[in-house]
Amino acid sequence: MHPTSLMMTTSLMTIFLLLAYPVLTTLSPAPRAADWALTQVKAAVKLAFFVSLLPLFLFMNEGVEAIITSWNWMNTLTFDVNLSLKFDHYSIIFVPIALYVTWSILEFAAWYMHADPFMNRFFKYLLVFLIAMVVLVTANNMFQLFIGWEGVGIMSFLLIGWWYGRADANTAALQAVVYNRVGDIGLILAMAWMATNLNSWEMQQMFVTAKNFDLTLPLLGLIVAATGKSAQFGLHPWLPSAMEGPTPVSALLHSSTMVVAGIFLLIRMSPLIENNPAALTLCLCLGALTTLFTATCALTQNDIKKIVAFSTSSQLGLMMVTIGLNQPQLAFLHICTHAFFKAMLFLCSGSIIHSLNDEQDIRKMGGMHHLTPVTSSCLTIGSLALTGTPFLAGFFSKDPIIEALNTSHLNAWALTLTLLATSFTAVYSLRVVFFVSMGHPRFNTFSPINENNPMVVNPIKRLAVGSIIAGLLITSNVIPLKTPVMSMPPLLKLAALTVTILGLMVALELASLTNKQLKTTPTLAPHHFSNMLGFFPPIIHRFTPKLNLVLGQTIANQLIDQTWLEKAGPKALVSSNIPLITTTSNAQQGMIKTYLALFLLTLTFAALLVSY
Amino acid sequence: MKDCKMAAYLSHHQKVLRLYKKSLRHLESWCIFRDKYRFYACLLRARFDENKAEKDMVKATMLLKAGEEEFWSNQHPQPYIFPDSPGGTSYERYECYKVPEWMLDHWHPSEKAMYPDYFSKREQWKKLRLQSWDVAQLEAETPADGPRTEALPPARQEGDLPPLWWQFVTRPRERPM
Repeated sequence: MHPTSLMMTTSLMTIFLLLAYPVLTTLSPAPRAADWALTQVKAAVKLAFFVSLLPLFLFMNEGVEAIITSWNWMNTLTFDVNLSLKFDHYSIIFVPIALYVTWSILEFAAWYMHADPFMNRFFKYLLVFLIAMVVLVTANNMFQLFIGWEGVGIMSFLLIGWWYGRADANTAALQAVVYNRVGDIGLILAMAWMATNLNSWEMQQMFVTAKNFDLTLPLLGLIVAATGKSAQFGLHPWLPSAMEGPTPVSALLHSSTMVVAGIFLLIRMSPLIENNPAALTLCLCLGALTTLFTATCALTQNDIKKIVAFSTSSQLGLMMVTIGLNQPQLAFLHICTHAFFKAMLFLCSGSIIHSLNDEQDIRKMGGMHHLTPVTSSCLTIGSLALTGTPFLAGFFSKDPIIEALNTSHLNAWALTLTLLATSFTAVYSLRVVFFVSMGHPRFNTFSPINENNPMVVNPIKRLAVGSIIAGLLITSNVIPLKTPVMSMPPLLKLAALTVTILGLMVALELASLTNKQLKTTPTLAPHHFSNMLGFFPPIIHRFTPKLNLVLGQTIANQLIDQTWLEKAGPKALVSSNIPLITTTSNAQQGMIKTYLALFLLTLTFAALLVSY
Repeated sequence: MKDCKMAAYLSHHQKVLRLYKKSLRHLESWCIFRDKYRFYACLLRARFDENKAEKDMVKATMLLKAGEEEFWSNQHPQPYIFPDSPGGTSYERYECYKVPEWMLDHWHPSEKAMYPDYFSKREQWKKLRLQSWDVAQLEAETPADGPRTEALPPARQEGDLPPLWWQFVTRPRERPM
């Protein structure tokens, strides 16, 4: 076997073993060391990251990709289900990034959750999640992808409901499960269609045999799945509610890794999507709507984690727009760069929240730049990267997306929505930095707030380095799969930057207006629309159960009782017979003239019939 | 504090004070910077003080009603709630770690050996607990076919603590670790 592919395969299997080993040791009855979480779990992830750099460098140097099929799971005469791992361009780049981000988050979580009596269990859950995510990302068939998909969904449920004594946390966890389940219906539909029509769940076979089919139905299923998992409009409320979980959970699952699973699915299936204009348009419009709607909701939120959650949802909408533009590699690039700065934003928020004794409302923060300069600087760097500041990480992914959107002749409406959302990104990012870092503190003096613990500062610094150089590194070293659009008028090229600067100026003006406070309340109607999340959650969470209950009541009353008793059963006999009886008995009243008239009438008819 | 009794109905005074406090809290949610908040809070206080000498109860009630309506229309959709208050972000967060006092009986002997002084006296403590007057009072006052409400009877004698005060005293800590 060629040494390169041998090295590749070995390192990839080593990663799986390194990640699985700590989980397997928990199955033994022997008690674990007190610092098991730090020494075993974090060390395993860190080591797995360094091991995963080897396939990455091999890929960058030689373009080596590998597909490993290692276990025949369920093989019938016509249908094979194997354990098949695909290490192509996407998974080779994503796995090191996911491991790097997870390493930083685990180190941070060791500080954040140090007072939690079940910290080891927390780390175990995070590790199981990571394994499920890697299984999802490296899946070469739909079945394995589904296993990873469900795995990340279940771990999300367990981790959001970590503090299960809190009613809101349980509600949020249930919400995540239900919304993801609605999306799973689409995925299962797509899988069923593929199994029955393409006779395989292996990606290569699917891409080859699907050329002659009309793929609208399975693609709709996949888009519904991505809508559920990646919190697109319609199935998005679970993502802000998921902020009930501890901050490391929000940083890992609900910003960098799990929520991009839906987009990743569409990227994997991009050979199927690229020839279906209906699916592409749907992705484009859904993504544009999502990005604007969630950016609007983020504008007036006061909980720092909810702002970052809506920001995540908005960026996921942007990724969906990119899929709709038939540029899956750009969407993937945005996934990679987004992971860095979004995880960093969450870690900075977590550091500030913990320092302020669980205060999450930005109205009661302020002046953090003096107290936690590293954290607030990294918050600023993350926000700048998010808005697409030139030459930070976000620039290398966001700018090409906007350029592709500008130069495509697809949908001006989607373009408008996306540009508006880009400017809103600048607005809410500045809002966060303004209320958190700048100004005077609006909280009481607590126990000394400091950044003396390296377990807090080092992960944030690491992710800051990633947020600055990741975009440059990836674009310089990885050959793009599609040629990007190179030439366009200067206005289109600078559109994203212009719109962001405009948004920044609007935000500065709004900040100065807030400082003056010319009246107590703003214009209430748009503020309420944005603050109450477009009234979407209350409407849907009341309307859908009400519909079900009314349907159930109607079925119970009218279908079952009324049908069987009144329409088809005893009363039906009665109600159908009584009119006949009444008519017949009314006709036989003993009136001779009526009888004679009827007799003559019948005679006339009979005579006519006989004669004709 | 000897005059604060809870009754079934709120007095007008209590209603006005409640309106004032919640107006201030929602004003605080709208006006984020303290100096601006202080300005508008003073204006609000002046508005309340303007009518504080009103003797006509009908007019006072109409003013209160108008005030409540103005509050309703101007309230903040996400008012600031303290993290530990109901509706806050860390309310009931540590409920899942709170363990009742009887779990101490289920500790392993090696764990009990870490606190020999306490556990040596614990059985005696439990006997004293059962002989406590409040359990006797509760048994005496509960009807034969079970209690009618969840409300506990108050202490009947001067200087006594109310029934089942033990469970309150030995409740888990607010932050269990």
